[in-house]
Amino acid sequence: MLTSKEIIETLKAKFDRQILKVQEPVSNQVFVRIVPDALIPVISFLNQTLSPRFLINAATDMVRDDGKYVVSYIFSFDSEKIFLCLQVALDAAEPNIDSITPIIAGANWSERETRDLVGINLRGHPDPRRLVLADDWPEKVYPLRKDFPYDYKPPSEPQNKVPLKKPPEGTKVIPIGPFYPVLEEPAYFKLFVDGETIVDCDYRGFYCHRGIEKIAESKLTYNQICFLAERICGICGFIHSTCYCEAVERAAGIEVPLRARYIRTIMLELERIHSHLLWLGIATHIIGFDTLLMQSWRIREPVMWLCEKISGNRKTYGMNLIGGVRRDIPSSIYDEIIQVIEKIERETKEVIDAVIGDTSLHARLKNVGILTEEVARNICTVGPTARGSGVRIDSRVDHPYAAYDRIDVQVAVEPGCDIWARTLVRLKETIESVKIVKQCLLEMPDGPIMGEVMEEIPAGREAICCVEAPRGEAVHYVQTGDDNRPYRWKVRAPSYPNLQSVPYLIKGQRIADVPIIIGSLDPCYSCTERMAVVDVKMGTERIYTKEEMLKR
Amino acid sequence: MFVSKLKQALICLKAGRVTLAYPYKPTAPPEGFRGKLKVDIDKCIGCAGCANVCPSCAIEVTDLDEGWRRIQFHLTRCISCGRCEEVCPEKAVKLTDQFELSTNTKEDLTVAIEIYMDTCQRCARCFKPQHPLDKMMITGFRK
Repeated sequence: MLTSKEIIETLKAKFDRQILKVQEPVSNQVFVRIVPDALIPVISFLNQTLSPRFLINAATDMVRDDGKYVVSYIFSFDSEKIFLCLQVALDAAEPNIDSITPIIAGANWSERETRDLVGINLRGHPDPRRLVLADDWPEKVYPLRKDFPYDYKPPSEPQNKVPLKKPPEGTKVIPIGPFYPVLEEPAYFKLFVDGETIVDCDYRGFYCHRGIEKIAESKLTYNQICFLAERICGICGFIHSTCYCEAVERAAGIEVPLRARYIRTIMLELERIHSHLLWLGIATHIIGFDTLLMQSWRIREPVMWLCEKISGNRKTYGMNLIGGVRRDIPSSIYDEIIQVIEKIERETKEVIDAVIGDTSLHARLKNVGILTEEVARNICTVGPTARGSGVRIDSRVDHPYAAYDRIDVQVAVEPGCDIWARTLVRLKETIESVKIVKQCLLEMPDGPIMGEVMEEIPAGREAICCVEAPRGEAVHYVQTGDDNRPYRWKVRAPSYPNLQSVPYLIKGQRIADVPIIIGSLDPCYSCTERMAVVDVKMGTERIYTKEEMLKR
Repeated sequence: MFVSKLKQALICLKAGRVTLAYPYKPTAPPEGFRGKLKVDIDKCIGCAGCANVCPSCAIEVTDLDEGWRRIQFHLTRCISCGRCEEVCPEKAVKLTDQFELSTNTKEDLTVAIEIYMDTCQRCARCFKPQHPLDKMMITGFRK
């Protein structure tokens, strides 16, 4: 097994002169500063030899410090439990960098995001269209630069509309969206169909940006951001707040008491239980099997009540702060928690038993929406989407956080590559979560729930944290700053890489299967889209323009 | 196939009726529920600690003239996190179990208190006098 030292040495042996600085501020998180020209050689070399998994890249405006933009490429060595962050500093006058998308297809969106929000010019990107910014956002206005005020509203420039792909010869266009009817969230899929078969598709999303990263970096303080992070997603909110808190705690070197870590673990697993049951309901609703929607949501409801009892609210628990949690779980309700989750386990097993041999479900779900292991790895998909294609990754095991280093987690992997496999992964994980909650309650020690937090968190420190959400892994990268707030906070929600696999999933499928294929990823558009203020205006062969709509 | 359908039917039959009669029958939230906040004006010392920690900036503090400080709690912005309750040194803010907040007039959802503060001789900023009797002695209190 590789250690972080060996990784550094392997890199140094090959690229000694191109490496400017190597740091390991947090154990098993290696930050390597390289010269911009060496980026492509280093990443191709890594891909061929050590083959790490690409997570995200983040651009930071450091112009005030040294006149540079820093782009960080974060990789994960899964079995070794190591993060590698390659950083390049680009001149503010000419922030040009070679695109890594030709080598790693999964970097497509996050590279375009750095271009849209910080203004990093990409050389050789295969699809350099606008991704994150609104259609009428002016050119050369970059909202995540530090000289851009968080409350500034630039004038509208409607001519910047993103051109969608032209349909291939002989195909017709079927739009799904912009208000995606199945998941009640905005996304626009433009399907190119030949008869019933889908030939290709194009995607335009990012309609519900809320400017979360910008407001955190310019207005809020460390402890206020916990609650903002919780609101990134309506279902996996606690995951994001835990991920943010752990990243800051790692960066600042804050020790979290063991009891608080166990409480976080319990809440995370309760969240996974209710999220998976919710997904099961929605997925079966999509294919018209509403009986299971009703029953799985009925089974789910007691978890919500349990969370309400523990935290004071059925969702958005508001439990996390930097350094620990705000509410203790009193020992008087341990029995009730065990009763509730055991009932859920029993009922979920009944449901599994009832649906596992249902041939009408097999007909809809088996061999539909195939995501081969190769594509899953190439697009860097995460969570049940990856595990349903035989990719054994799970942050709970790969990069332990909260109390997971003390807990035995069985990773559910299915080789089927289809929707049925992803369903099985989620059902197995629900049962596994019940086991984990029980183990936590058994092992949880007494003690304080809030650690010692220093008066001021020192500036200029960096850390990465991965948390396994029900949909996949969430990645938060935090760089601490002055004024009691992070200098840079980068969030990558699990749906971000998963949605990029949609073109591969629906190619060659029939139109009727598209809703369940997209639904099988458990996509969450609000998590994916967090960053800029957006005006909704979209469509190709449209009837009304925005101006006409406004007039009406 | 047939067996599966029978099993599914059995699950439905076993479940019975699970819906609640709410809103015809009121339901009480559990203990520790975080609902609408309540401020005790007699306890508040106007330190504005709550406004400092509020994640959604729902608490607005304005210093009016002659030492009056107005603290407004905009419940339209409130996320019921309870941070104000947690940091209040005088336990003046409490979250109640009230959750039915819908109204036709938005103003109903702003709780405003005005407290009389003494002015510091050195920095001219407001502070609350130590004792209620002291408070009565200050000129301008009975506005």
